[in-house]
Amino acid sequence: MTQAERPVLRRWSRHEYARLIDRGFLDEDDPIELLDGLLLVKEPQRSPRRTAVLLVAKALERAFGEGWFVQTQSPIILDDRSEPEPDVCVVRGSPRDYVDAHPTRPALVVEVAQSGLRLARGRKAAAYARARIADYWIVSLVDRVLEVHREPARPGPARRHWGYAAIETLGADATITPLSAPSAGIRVADLLP
Amino acid sequence: MCAMASYETKTRRFSRAEYERLIDLGVFQPGEPIELIGGELMVAEPQGVAHYTAIVKTARALEAAFGPGWHARTQGPIGLDDDSEPEPDVAVVPGGPEDYSRAHPSRPVLTVEAAESSLGVDRERKGSLYARAGLEDYWVLNLVDRVLEVYREPAPAARCSTPPPGSPRWPRPDRASPSRVSSLDWHDAS
Repeated sequence: MTQAERPVLRRWSRHEYARLIDRGFLDEDDPIELLDGLLLVKEPQRSPRRTAVLLVAKALERAFGEGWFVQTQSPIILDDRSEPEPDVCVVRGSPRDYVDAHPTRPALVVEVAQSGLRLARGRKAAAYARARIADYWIVSLVDRVLEVHREPARPGPARRHWGYAAIETLGADATITPLSAPSAGIRVADLLP
Repeated sequence: MCAMASYETKTRRFSRAEYERLIDLGVFQPGEPIELIGGELMVAEPQGVAHYTAIVKTARALEAAFGPGWHARTQGPIGLDDDSEPEPDVAVVPGGPEDYSRAHPSRPVLTVEAAESSLGVDRERKGSLYARAGLEDYWVLNLVDRVLEVYREPAPAARCSTPPPGSPRWPRPDRASPSRVSSLDWHDAS
């Protein structure tokens, strides 16, 4: 009953979302991302956020090196109803490998969050966990920390939704090693604006 | 910090003009039960047997009560405002169907929602929407308790903060309730 009483928003499929863009109804540059069938308006790009995105991208380029590339605020495909645009993600191969389709399984996804922190920890974390993204980081500009989310876990007695079983919060003086770049060490301080 | 206060997770809103363009473009499935409510595309309550029966009976009773010169529309679109095009279960409008062949009616004299699982939405969200549009006579046919709730005298939020005892509380406009908005952050019903 409580479930049904909530107004239910119409959900969009990825195919429908693509049509809205093709028909010129949505612009590719509109600050919108499709998550769980919802057309979510993205957190505005204020300068500290933009700076952090660039810092993270630079640090990850260096950490991963050859055979990987870093994309910022570009679409990835998670499932039939989710095509988010994470702030930064690391993808195997080269950009030419994705001429025909967006990447689906990045090795690392990073969101830089200020007012969007609840979304990053909630619905987004659930969507990334469900897509089995093994390494998900949130740069929190509010607390100036890096949250490292690992071990995707399905809903069960311990959790209502998909989520991550291992969440670690690292301060500026800590160092983090990406799961897919085991020999690299990144100072959290280098990611913060 | 104002930068933080100004952003909350929300979905892309649609104006009524955009919504009608989406319909023209054939984006939706034929017969998809959608309504535009305050810029949001909502999926309407699935039709149960009791719900449908109540609508037909209500429309018939209202046609009889109003007589010639009036028309009871069932689940037809109402061009309410720039970002709302709801499809109330029954709406009594002047004239006949042919009077609305170019544009949807915008101000029914009586609007009825039959509510089973949608009771909360019909009282709060729709009530607020219809009040803001100045619809003077709004009825919720409450199928759960088998009563008719009659809402009249649309009023802004401040005036209805203390409802007279015993009267149904007037839904407050703009209850774009924080709980509902923040639920977008979470992975609610998927």
